[in-house]
Amino acid sequence: MEKIINDFTINIATANGTGSQSANLILLQSLFDMGVPVSGKNLFPSNISGLPTWYIVRLSDKGYQAPGDRTHIQVLVNPATWDEDLAALEPGSVVIWNSDTKKKTVEREDIISYPIPMTSMARKINTKLAKLVTNIIYVGVLAELLGIDQACLESAVAKQFKGKATAVELNTTALGLGRDYCKENLTKADPYAVEAREIETPKFFFEGNEAAALGSIYGGIQLLAWYPITPSSSMCEGIISYIPRLRTDDEGNATVAVIQAEDELAAAGMVLGAGWAGGRGLTATSGPGISLMQEFIGLAYFAEIPSVFWDVVRVGPSTGLPTRTQQSDIAMLYEGSHGDTQHIVLLPGTVEECFEFGWRAFDYSERFQTPVFGMSDLDLGMNRWACGGFTYPDKPMDRGKVVREKDVFEAFETFGRYLDVDGDGIPYRTLPGSGMDPILYRGTGHNPMGVYSEKPEDYYNLMQRLRKKIDNARDELPAPIIREAEACEVGIVFLGSMENSIQEIDDILEETGLQVSQCRIRALPAHSEVEAFIRRHEVSIVLEINRDGQLYGILRRELPNDLVTKVHSVAYSDGMPPRARIYAERILAKLEEVKK
Amino acid sequence: MRERPARAVKLNVLNEPKDSYTGGPSSLCPGCGHDQISNVIITAAWENGVEPHRIAKMSGIGCSSKTPAYYLGQSHGFNTVHGRMPSVTTGAYAINKDLLYLGVSGDGDSASIGIGQLIHAIRRNMDMVYIVENNGVYGLTKGQYSATADVGSKKKKGAANETQPIDLCAMAINLGCTFVARSFSGSKKQLASILKAAMSHKGFALVDVISPCVTFNNNDESMRSYGYVKDNEVTLHMADYIPHFNPMEEVEVPDGHFRDITLHDGSTIRLETISEDHDPSDAMAALTALHAAETGKKHVTGLLYFDATKPSLAEDLGLVDEALLDLPNEALRPDRASLDALNAEFFA
Repeated sequence: MEKIINDFTINIATANGTGSQSANLILLQSLFDMGVPVSGKNLFPSNISGLPTWYIVRLSDKGYQAPGDRTHIQVLVNPATWDEDLAALEPGSVVIWNSDTKKKTVEREDIISYPIPMTSMARKINTKLAKLVTNIIYVGVLAELLGIDQACLESAVAKQFKGKATAVELNTTALGLGRDYCKENLTKADPYAVEAREIETPKFFFEGNEAAALGSIYGGIQLLAWYPITPSSSMCEGIISYIPRLRTDDEGNATVAVIQAEDELAAAGMVLGAGWAGGRGLTATSGPGISLMQEFIGLAYFAEIPSVFWDVVRVGPSTGLPTRTQQSDIAMLYEGSHGDTQHIVLLPGTVEECFEFGWRAFDYSERFQTPVFGMSDLDLGMNRWACGGFTYPDKPMDRGKVVREKDVFEAFETFGRYLDVDGDGIPYRTLPGSGMDPILYRGTGHNPMGVYSEKPEDYYNLMQRLRKKIDNARDELPAPIIREAEACEVGIVFLGSMENSIQEIDDILEETGLQVSQCRIRALPAHSEVEAFIRRHEVSIVLEINRDGQLYGILRRELPNDLVTKVHSVAYSDGMPPRARIYAERILAKLEEVKK
Repeated sequence: MRERPARAVKLNVLNEPKDSYTGGPSSLCPGCGHDQISNVIITAAWENGVEPHRIAKMSGIGCSSKTPAYYLGQSHGFNTVHGRMPSVTTGAYAINKDLLYLGVSGDGDSASIGIGQLIHAIRRNMDMVYIVENNGVYGLTKGQYSATADVGSKKKKGAANETQPIDLCAMAINLGCTFVARSFSGSKKQLASILKAAMSHKGFALVDVISPCVTFNNNDESMRSYGYVKDNEVTLHMADYIPHFNPMEEVEVPDGHFRDITLHDGSTIRLETISEDHDPSDAMAALTALHAAETGKKHVTGLLYFDATKPSLAEDLGLVDEALLDLPNEALRPDRASLDALNAEFFA
């Protein structure tokens, strides 16, 4: 039997709230520390405890991070999904199962079965914590079967429990028990194995939400106003967790205000209040929260108030699938609120970019005096990704056109809050408390002096200036990441967390003989390089994780007419993190359709 | 800057004329109670010697919320969205706690669409003056009843209101609001004293002002008309305000019974008993007075409830002493070494 090394997918089926997450993270971390390219996806329910949860670990020497096409090794601990999980396995798959599970067994002849009496083994170690310990036993079994390095395993345990001696001891014992059971009772009958790899560039695991939180801290956040919602809460909690270390003085006083708001409307209102007063305010939420914030978003756009909003997208519409991932808020963010609007949207695709856009969002918002959105998603935000380290901001904070000194103010021939002095659409502002140009900010129509106006020319000119202002931002925002093939045959335009599946999709497409280029959009309004990329390619596919092709819709409207026919949409979402083959097949089908 | 008039004018403690506190012309209906309140705001801010540019005028949407354009022309203001002025004020306050936040709202803004935000601003004991210009109707949309309309009260057109009203003062007292007063736009002296005291208070000061709508709700059958309120006002006490910059000993001591309440900035509000003594530290007494008035179809006015013991939002936030606005950029962005240290820990 030929070994299959570092190229398979493990699926672990457990119940939510049983402590399986820490066991799974230990498995992931130990593989990572061996230098094995690995990714983990937590598919969890909207529930505190009891409902099914799956953890998918993909090992791939090619560095593929999407969940694979199929499961090679299935761990069965949860009786609730037992039969379905078992039935879904392809012949030849491996099943590691808890043989103490009442009324459940594994009777398929076409699979490799490893029964483990997990519960009774766990009870032997600790009766009270048997449920928790069961999980770590299957990690021990996997370690033995696959050949996971014991030192890496032990350091992962220490990392997970941060040196809590009792927990470390308990888990190490359980791991050993799992290993010993394998040695004494099982004969390896499957081809799967892991092999350590040399680590060329050191990396560590990090979640997108925590990275965006840290970036916000380095962006000089002054107010965090938030309302808890999955999957964004951990971003806010991340900010809160870094304040004592990074934003607190020797007397224990903070330079960031944190207010847990009564709802998302209030959170948005607080962020606007902060921006109006001259500070850097941020809220993080998900789609339902952004829906509630729409009115304030329009006010921020129209009254030109700096404000930063992060949307860690989950599956909509409505409450949708609260613990699944999607890229379905692109249109809502770009054109948020009633009336004609257009907003700056930053689209990080990696943990490093979550950090970078975390601080840049404030600079853009103050520079352009407008709401700025960071759009991440559950997959990027809540899963752990390999990160090469965070880079310190390469430029000082940009506080925008704020007139703070009297002599500067008096040097203006005429000062008007909404006067386009520099011709770039960005006016100057003064701050409350300064006594300079005291105006009543409003969401009603106003003239360049900030005075209420319903005059047709005032309204028209204001709306044109606002359009110019945001349009001018285009090439100041992060440029797309382009990986171009030798021949510009098929261009894939995509965004955000699809970064983690794109190389696999690209490889599947190139197996058919196509030459495929990639263009990852990192901000809206789209950079002019995106247009140039599309122009260079025979045909471009806009690839996104939603039903309607929201990014495609935006590009189609903004591209010159002669390019529109070269661009096609492939949009698909079933709530799961994108699996490469599904998207690749749809791209191929679309290309066929285009040829006709 | 504004040129000083040549003739001798009365100046306040900052040597500012009252003109420094006025605003643009009002576009409300002639005789509107709100305009009277605007005038009292001007007087109160001037007499209190607040620097005009250190005030932030906050409002929501509605007739009342338009009024910040008509007073304190040297102050920045923010006419926000309907019912959401408290949250915007809270965010501004977090950044610049050194301004005096003067919120003006209406009964539609505060008792309906924005009641949640009002409640939570009270709950946080947010440092602000929150004036409700309360007329029982929606004016800009042409006279629908609001949630504060009294049962049995009838506006100019349509049937009498039969829906139970929300008494914002009773609600605020129940929520532990630290300064709760009711007044009447026609009682300028009382309103001025209460507003000045509210400006000197640290914490949330709710001032619910009955302010008749001359266009839709000033008929005889209305319980919020000028005539009705004048005839049915139950005044808890005479209110006098003695600013901190005026020595107490120079103030005339009244003959009858009175209570002095010292406010956060050292000013005093002196409450002279009229008939029965009202103790503003007694929440039950305040609720009883409100209940008795409602039962008797009366309006009770005065400082209903006061509590100086609760921390305000500023203390709860645990921030540095200076306003966050005044921090230099270097204080907001941690240094490079701190990120190097974090990276090293993550790689370890």
